[in-house]
Amino acid sequence: MTPLGSIAGAVLSATPWRLDRRLEVDTRRAALSRISGAVSAMVVVGILLLLTGRNAFWILWQALDSILGSQRGIEGVALRAIPILMTALGVALSLRMKVWNIGSDGQFLMGGLAAVGVGIHMNGPGWLVLIVMAVAGTLAGAAWILVPALARAYLDVNEIITTLLLNFVAFQLVVWASLGFWRDRESAVIRSTERVPVILEKIPGAESVTIALFVPVIIAAALWWVFRSTTIGYEVDTIGGNPRAAGFAGIAVRRRIMVVMLFTGAIAGLGGMLQLSAPGAQAMNAGFSAQFGLSGFIVAALAGASFWGVMGGGVCIAAMFYAGVLLQTKGLSVYIIFASYGVILTGIALGEIAARYRLARRDTEETGTGSDAVAADHASEGAGS
Amino acid sequence: MILAIIENAFLSLVGSAIPASTVVVLAATGAMLGERVGVLNLGQEGLIGIGAVYSVIAVLSWGVQSPWMAMLIGMIAAAVAGLVFAVCVVAFRASQVLVGLALALGGIGLSNQLGTNRNGTLIKTLFREVNPGGVLDNNDLMSAFLFHDPIVYIAYVGLPLVLWFVLFRTRHGMNMKAVGENPAAADAVGVSVTGWRIFYSVLGASLTGAAGSYMVLAFTPSWSPDIARGRGWVALAVVIFAGWRPGWAVAGALLYGSMISLDTTAQARGWGLPFMGASDLSFFLSMLPYVVTLVAILIPAGAVKLGRRVRSTAAPAALAIPYAREER
Amino acid sequence: MTGDSPQPSVEARAISKAFGGVAALDAVDFEVRWSEVHALVGENGAGKTTLCNILAGIYRADAGQVIVDGVERDFRAPAHAIDAGIGMVHQHFRLVEPMTVAENIHLGWPETPGVVSQRTLIDRTERFMSEMGMHVDPTAKIWQLSVGEQQRVEILRVLARGARVLILDEPTAVLTAKEAEELFAVVRELAASGLSVIFITHKLREVLAVSDRLTVLRQGIREITRPTEGATAGEIARLMTGEERLLSVEHRVVTGESTLELRGVSALNDRGITALHNVDLTVRAGEILGIAGVSGNGQTELAEVICSLRDLQSGSIAVDGADVASMSVRAVTDLGVGHIPEDRIGMGMVLSAPLKNNAVLHNYWTEAFSQGLTLDRQEVIDFAKRLVEAARVQTRSVFATAGQLSGGNQQRLVARREALAADRLLVAAHPTRGLDVNAAQEVRATVLDKRDGGCAVLLISDDLDEVLLMSDRIAVMYEGRIMGVFDAADADREYLGLLMGGHTPAEASR
Repeated sequence: MTPLGSIAGAVLSATPWRLDRRLEVDTRRAALSRISGAVSAMVVVGILLLLTGRNAFWILWQALDSILGSQRGIEGVALRAIPILMTALGVALSLRMKVWNIGSDGQFLMGGLAAVGVGIHMNGPGWLVLIVMAVAGTLAGAAWILVPALARAYLDVNEIITTLLLNFVAFQLVVWASLGFWRDRESAVIRSTERVPVILEKIPGAESVTIALFVPVIIAAALWWVFRSTTIGYEVDTIGGNPRAAGFAGIAVRRRIMVVMLFTGAIAGLGGMLQLSAPGAQAMNAGFSAQFGLSGFIVAALAGASFWGVMGGGVCIAAMFYAGVLLQTKGLSVYIIFASYGVILTGIALGEIAARYRLARRDTEETGTGSDAVAADHASEGAGS
Repeated sequence: MILAIIENAFLSLVGSAIPASTVVVLAATGAMLGERVGVLNLGQEGLIGIGAVYSVIAVLSWGVQSPWMAMLIGMIAAAVAGLVFAVCVVAFRASQVLVGLALALGGIGLSNQLGTNRNGTLIKTLFREVNPGGVLDNNDLMSAFLFHDPIVYIAYVGLPLVLWFVLFRTRHGMNMKAVGENPAAADAVGVSVTGWRIFYSVLGASLTGAAGSYMVLAFTPSWSPDIARGRGWVALAVVIFAGWRPGWAVAGALLYGSMISLDTTAQARGWGLPFMGASDLSFFLSMLPYVVTLVAILIPAGAVKLGRRVRSTAAPAALAIPYAREER
Repeated sequence: MTGDSPQPSVEARAISKAFGGVAALDAVDFEVRWSEVHALVGENGAGKTTLCNILAGIYRADAGQVIVDGVERDFRAPAHAIDAGIGMVHQHFRLVEPMTVAENIHLGWPETPGVVSQRTLIDRTERFMSEMGMHVDPTAKIWQLSVGEQQRVEILRVLARGARVLILDEPTAVLTAKEAEELFAVVRELAASGLSVIFITHKLREVLAVSDRLTVLRQGIREITRPTEGATAGEIARLMTGEERLLSVEHRVVTGESTLELRGVSALNDRGITALHNVDLTVRAGEILGIAGVSGNGQTELAEVICSLRDLQSGSIAVDGADVASMSVRAVTDLGVGHIPEDRIGMGMVLSAPLKNNAVLHNYWTEAFSQGLTLDRQEVIDFAKRLVEAARVQTRSVFATAGQLSGGNQQRLVARREALAADRLLVAAHPTRGLDVNAAQEVRATVLDKRDGGCAVLLISDDLDEVLLMSDRIAVMYEGRIMGVFDAADADREYLGLLMGGHTPAEASR
């Protein structure tokens, strides 16, 4: 995937160069480094596609042009941004605590499924049904991460594989619902659940985007405030930074881990409900989540700890995603897009390292130019403050 | 009569569980190899896809006639992907979690793309079952355990024995465990941590690739998108369940395989329950392998919590932690 | 010992090494001869370990040459140094804990047979041990061994590989006085048999006791190399620190209300083994009670039970009469208990978090910063600024991460933060460990200020000299038990040393 990487690795071991760790990494450099990692990965993908005879750059340009040039395009991006932002916010919250919730896809599906269950069985005014659907979706998302959260908090079982296995269970459950217990029996060909009759209010002037668009914005703002100005945010950050120090400070580490994990599941679950109550969706089927969980994970990995970064990154990925739909008509399959996700994620991971390390020669004296800020900072320590 | 039905059911369960678990045994052994030297490769799912699709390509497009050759090609392809992974996480010390997930995603995407035009085409270059001669006929109880293809024997008997022997009876295995437990200690006595970690993650990746090849060369036997269907993740869970011991991985994989074969058997025979129709039962059973796998990794963890387990089943202490000599 | 073999075994010429732009070694020359014990002396951070890591192939020098037995060598890995006959025993042992002694000795050793059973490994190990005259149970897992035994495994492993030059990095830091004496005997014997031994230490007593020659490093520069004979401790200390600094402390006899009372306290360590046996202690307001003892004899657990970080098995702990055992960490802190933890970086701070977050780690929930859920950002920043100034932490801003600080600055920050939190009781675990002389004096002054302000202080240290210097009363701990409590005026160094090594008071006074 990154042939450059393996070449560099081989070259590195045979040369007098080595990786040196920086004494400090500021968040801006880290973010910049991750973003440039992602961008260079995209360039690599583009070049690979070019080599196989597909001019991805040109196609992407055209696609973006058509997206940004029309209301329909912009709404298309917004529609895809909502589920991606919801899962990404959940994952970003868990990453604040160094917990990897890879099961946001499953939580998203369960949120949708619970919302369908309420929507097709409950009678009442539309607004009330929607509120109950939202509550049910949120709870279902949280419930779906309960076992991994308990296992992580109290049995020290790594959450990566437990959350991921539950994705498959959730998917099978959705298949069961849409072909079995909640199947739409009106027509033999429809392979989905019954339709929920209510949808969320559309934004004035929009053709298909509902007020669901405001939910991730509100959640991001709320999370930003929690981590900026509350003791809970402080405690979660402390656990993420050093769990032993958190214990030293009297924070109930295990309980906090569990509660925060439940919240990450809840946000993804609510995302599922929002996706369901968009006009035209309204029912569950096997294709309900177009890998929104994975997209959200990539957004969160790219944004690091910043919830506003998630918003920006989420919109970009949603645009790529939507462009991908258009690209399929020009010979690029959805598979290529997932393959390129892999390359991009690798680029992010390498970018993270690049921020922490720098290349230095083994056998020369330190010079001011290469070691840049670090040496300068230490020199200024005495003079400053 | 009842007894005959039960025996019949048992035979078909075992008979189909063994091949169904082979993929998981191979992948779990591959994952375990890397984890024993401290490298966690979450990309098993992608490696299975890559191994599978290259075997398919070898057979359908390159005209390879031998299943062994086709499997070797799948293994090499997976090894190349494993090398890229290993260089990123071992030499450059990138996050094993992130790059592993990237490999899972990228591997699935790449293999699906390469397999696009080969969907459903039947593979005819297959591993044939070993026939132990005229001693037994096909309906015997023993036939559930015999009459499998050679890869089954390699995966269930050969590999675990070899790995057990290497790990617990050789100098090489001792050094290998040291790299996974305490790389600084291994480094101090002259074992090259970087070299061993890269070598074993690549070897492990090629085994997982073989798992993918086995799917298309014996199990399915054709290409379909998302061919691994979670088996890569199950394999990772099986390694945890097994406590990083090769023999126990076989047991864990069989647990998963019997759930799978319970599902297929139930479907084939239209089994139902008094309170659940045949189709509902089948839907339910298709969730079961993942649920059982999840429960299986919680049990040893719970046992450790209750103090019933010893240190030897704990994860290698340096698992997923990059090693750098010059840091301080 | 021999002075007439001037043939050098190892020679380092003009070695330089920098980490992240900071020079650790600057053109250092260093030469060791056959059949000698060569002490490499210096403060923490003087570059002793870095130099030896270069000789052992762990690090590569940025510049300079390494010459072994007359041949110039370029070690790219520890394996190369081992091949050249150089073996190093690190301060933090490089042993694989879940493996046996026999396995650890045979690890990475080309002479280990390719196919081995535990039996062969054990036989080979036993044979080798009797050759060397050093013994450890070859079937024991490393984590079951005492620190002294682990060290012997390390030395055996190095010797098994035919090391002719043995480097020991601060080998006595973790040993009892008796174990240290045994080690000195081993070291002298090895030198007598023709080997070179490089003995890294900052304890002057050891330098004079064990070495034939000595080299002093200070801030990455070699100060002197000379025969030990004729050298005095004062002279070496001056070379190590550049100047002589002395802190004089007046010891007090305090009577009156006790602030901290431990009665029959027992507790388990992380492995579930009893680490504290029936401990009784009293600390009064305005006094320092020093806990002397070799690390790992229950001191860590003692500090943790007092601060409610560890559960009690039995007994009671009271601070100003309030039962602490049943309280949360937070409630104990609110009583006015500060805790400078032994592992400052691992437990006392969050390296990835900004200084402002670290500043309030032990009081962010108090009314000064928090009303209900909210955390007053501005208050936190102001407090952090005041703390940074008071602790004289060198940093550009309180938004910089704690990881950006130098080790000394990190330690000062934690010490001052905890001292501020401690109105009634300060638990200080090894507060000067890893600090250079200046920084250590500052931390000691902080602790003494607390005492003079009427706070009770429990000072835990494995440096007996520090305990003797600082304490008003001294308790000795051995294997989780209090061996005796003494007024500072009555304390006798040698007697305390015997108690620390496990002698009963009756045996020790004989």
